[in-house]
Amino acid sequence: MNLAHIHLLLNHFPTIGFGMALGLFLVALVRNNEELKRTSLVIFFLISALAIPTYLSGNAALETLCSGPEGACPPGVSVANIRAHEDAALPGFLLMEITGFLAWLGLWQFRLISRTPRWNVSAVLLLSILSFALMARAANIGGEIRHPEIEAAPQANEHTEGNVQPLVRGIGAYVTGHTWVWPSCETLHFVGLSMLFSVLLLVDLRILGIAKRMSFAALYQLLPLGMIGFAMNLTTGMVFFIAAPEQYTKNPVFYWKILFVILGAVNVLYFMLLDEPWKVNAGDDAPLTAKLVAGSALFVWVGVLFFGHMLPFLGNAF
Amino acid sequence: MEFLRLIEGSSFSQWVTGSSSVLAFPSILLLHTIGMGVVVGISAGVDLRILGLAPAMPLAPMERFFPLLWVGFWVNAVTGVILLAADATTKATNPDFYVKMAFITLAVINQQIMRNRVFRDPFIDKRPLTSEAKILALTSIIFWLGAITSGRLLAYVGPVSGLTK
Repeated sequence: MNLAHIHLLLNHFPTIGFGMALGLFLVALVRNNEELKRTSLVIFFLISALAIPTYLSGNAALETLCSGPEGACPPGVSVANIRAHEDAALPGFLLMEITGFLAWLGLWQFRLISRTPRWNVSAVLLLSILSFALMARAANIGGEIRHPEIEAAPQANEHTEGNVQPLVRGIGAYVTGHTWVWPSCETLHFVGLSMLFSVLLLVDLRILGIAKRMSFAALYQLLPLGMIGFAMNLTTGMVFFIAAPEQYTKNPVFYWKILFVILGAVNVLYFMLLDEPWKVNAGDDAPLTAKLVAGSALFVWVGVLFFGHMLPFLGNAF
Repeated sequence: MEFLRLIEGSSFSQWVTGSSSVLAFPSILLLHTIGMGVVVGISAGVDLRILGLAPAMPLAPMERFFPLLWVGFWVNAVTGVILLAADATTKATNPDFYVKMAFITLAVINQQIMRNRVFRDPFIDKRPLTSEAKILALTSIIFWLGAITSGRLLAYVGPVSGLTK
């Protein structure tokens, strides 16, 4: 079992998951069923989180597959197809993450107005169709990498060698070729970290017992700030990854970091989906389960920071 | 410069940078980053609340987070001094380091003024926030952003840095 297997295992989730969520969302819209709408939004959100390791493990699969001298690929495998797959995957991934963010925002707002906001339904619908289409295209090109039997006519292959420079490698070359990009993204990564920590500390420490004079409902308004911080860090993190993928794909500490990010995504749903924390009014002591969730949120996000920080020390980055 | 070399050559500094132990440089820097998250996180939460984010959140109870903010601050003061001692000849000769110190000094003064002018106000949460409070919140954000930026760039700019490309 290596990371190439992980990619082969995960790579069906974004397309199939988004396809299923989209079908469910359409049924929910036709029946105007709020609970079903929320369920679809949850699936969109969780699948968008799973899409992160799916994208990242793709680079690991490439390195495993093409591990010959100077990254030479075995016969029957086309580097151009792999690059075309990568170039198709990035825009799909990007849209999928935006859809996941908006789905989360819809879930967040549902709590405040007791229904899925109309703007959110339209935005999620449009973006999920687009990301599903782009991801299906990426999956299709990806399937051609090592499945010659399903490639209708090899000579009709549009992804021939020697075309224009692949998009994603071009972005990577830009980042490594311009000295200002990496430090700027590092700075933004730390700003995003602080925004995430702001919400994490205020919300979770309140649940654990500091500043009990605040109700949970009041603190809930802060949550999008943390999600924007996370979005900033996902974006800048992807810049690092695209610029130097091998620092991460060959670094087990990074796998832990991404696993903890996904745990964080699951963790935050508690505040949106369960009624329990909403009963915590000003002056109330939070129930034990809420405290466990709050404590695990602190553990998970400090863990993400820990693994990120330890990339060069426990792992082999930089 | 001689003095800086002396500090950097001390056995403690040598342990911090030279030891292969994860407890040395990596853990000290880790604490420095977590401390930053605590200080700037709490500070930014208060500032953004004053500027209008999450208006349903009462401001007065947020003072309960200030002791934790100071814990984070002192963790960073101690780890910061260690990191400076370990790399004295480079850091203490880097103008960016003094920019960072200036931002932190301003941010701390700003925080104290805010505590005295906003949180000591008996009518806090009972009347709209003054424009003075909003200006203090805005300057606090600017100072902390400045501290993060100059701190992060310490690894990349200056006479001896990682920015070689």
